[in-house]
Amino acid sequence: MGGEPAVLEVERVIKEYRKGVRANDDVSLSVSAGEVYGLLGHNGAGKTTLLNQVVGIAKPTAGTIRVTGRDAVADPAMARRMCSMQPQAQAPLDGVSPAEAIELMARIRGANRRRAKQRTAELVDALDIGEWAKTTGERLSGGVRRLTAFAMAAAEPGRLVMFDEPTNDVDPVRRRLLWAEVRALAENGCAVLLVTHNVIEAERAVDRLAILDRGRVVAQGSPADLRGENADRLRLEVTAVDSAVARDLAAQFGGQDRGENGAGGGREDAVVVGRRMMATVNAAECASALAWAQNERTAGRVDEFSFNPVSLEDIYVRLVGSDGGNNEGDRDAALVA
Amino acid sequence: MRHWLRSFALLLKWNMLRVRTELPTFLAIQTLISAGIVVGFSLLIPEIDAEAALYLTSGAMTVSLITVGMVVAPQIVAQRKEKGLLDYQRSMPVSRLAMMAADAVIWVVVALPGLAVTLLVAVVRFDLELSISPWLLPAVLLVSAGAAGVGYCIAYVVRPVLVGLVTNLVIIVALMFAPINYPAERLPDWAAAVHEWLPFQYMAQAVRETIDAPDTGVAMLPFVIITAWTVLGLGVTSRVMTRRA
Repeated sequence: MGGEPAVLEVERVIKEYRKGVRANDDVSLSVSAGEVYGLLGHNGAGKTTLLNQVVGIAKPTAGTIRVTGRDAVADPAMARRMCSMQPQAQAPLDGVSPAEAIELMARIRGANRRRAKQRTAELVDALDIGEWAKTTGERLSGGVRRLTAFAMAAAEPGRLVMFDEPTNDVDPVRRRLLWAEVRALAENGCAVLLVTHNVIEAERAVDRLAILDRGRVVAQGSPADLRGENADRLRLEVTAVDSAVARDLAAQFGGQDRGENGAGGGREDAVVVGRRMMATVNAAECASALAWAQNERTAGRVDEFSFNPVSLEDIYVRLVGSDGGNNEGDRDAALVA
Repeated sequence: MRHWLRSFALLLKWNMLRVRTELPTFLAIQTLISAGIVVGFSLLIPEIDAEAALYLTSGAMTVSLITVGMVVAPQIVAQRKEKGLLDYQRSMPVSRLAMMAADAVIWVVVALPGLAVTLLVAVVRFDLELSISPWLLPAVLLVSAGAAGVGYCIAYVVRPVLVGLVTNLVIIVALMFAPINYPAERLPDWAAAVHEWLPFQYMAQAVRETIDAPDTGVAMLPFVIITAWTVLGLGVTSRVMTRRA
């Protein structure tokens, strides 16, 4: 690795708005060339604020931001030249087609005419938006607009590319195409910073990530690091016949000390959402938990159940909690200890 | 500088693409308005002598440049602001001034044919004999730049919901309460004194004297003052645009 600085270095950044609201509170992270770095968090966790500070739309209250080793706070124009960004706001596509917009943006970012044309063709093809490549913006669906904005940032990416919620409104098939392009950018030597609240997708796409909660970094590392001791655990998800039974199962599952009948062995917290109950189980205890679940199903108290590896989403929810989210279902989530 | 010109040219191309479908409509309406103002004025004031005709003709041209720069441009910027497009533009690696200039060019292009039509209609309608100065084009471009500079300033400083009101005020002042279509002597003293500091009368004078140059030659003071307003308007706009939240 040697002495080459990371492409983006954020050190102890604090962004405080008037009335003392801290959008970023002591955030530090770094993104190297060839790396996809995810920034996860609820709405309002301070993800977009951080990106805006990198390109000089907002200014940190304290802390430093360096892009390719140079001070981005002192020289925001330099930062804008070095990094391309897909903002969360819709791209200005009225009157222009995706092909025109991607090509123009590539040229504005410094590509010559030939390269701009070539990159446009590649991206239109890779994202499978050829059907609309010549349709003007006001007649495009939200998803195609978003994909176009993604391609506008990816066409001539510079050293650092930042994507703010790039998969919003995008259909599942093209999301995969988009993630493949994100990977390709990193493989070509870009540093990629990715903002999302889609934890499941991020898990597959990122090399490292930080979880932001109310402006603070509450966890940081590779997905495997974050799973940590949970790596050899499985998540049991049970759909009970009704919510009362789900609560009862959770109590039963969690309430027994290890050794009595095995089902509670190695349990963490059992969580009930509606008639679903979720709990983590040590791999070693899996067989007994499986037997327990099968028993309950035979008894007619459980409709279905499944075992899965503990996902980043489970860890995310545990770290960030559900109170900050705007997910309706989270509201009646109950922790049964 | 090369980077500046390059981004200016590319942004201009983008703008051209963006308005290409509406451009014919814009041009047609702007041209009709320009011709209509001359005809309308002559209905409003039946007996027009040569001096009044000159004032009305140059006034119509000035008002249409002011409309484009101080009314249409800020309203469009306010719309973009509301849609969140300005933050998108702010993340692009281009100079703010290049961005504004590329916008302004479009509005000047929209206004120019209208100006020619105004002159033509006026010559026919009022039997004007004009002595057009080579300073006409620079004057028109400078007045456009000044109007756009002030217009952008309005767009960036005023909250989007209020932009419509402020621009309405501007157009009423320009049409009726500014020495554009008539000499400053007709205004009360205090109003004439206020107008010595505002750009309107200088814009009108610059256009008037370049379509019919006085024997004493085209005065340079209006050019200086409009330049000052342009610099002020663009300066404030640029500060607001680059200010970091």
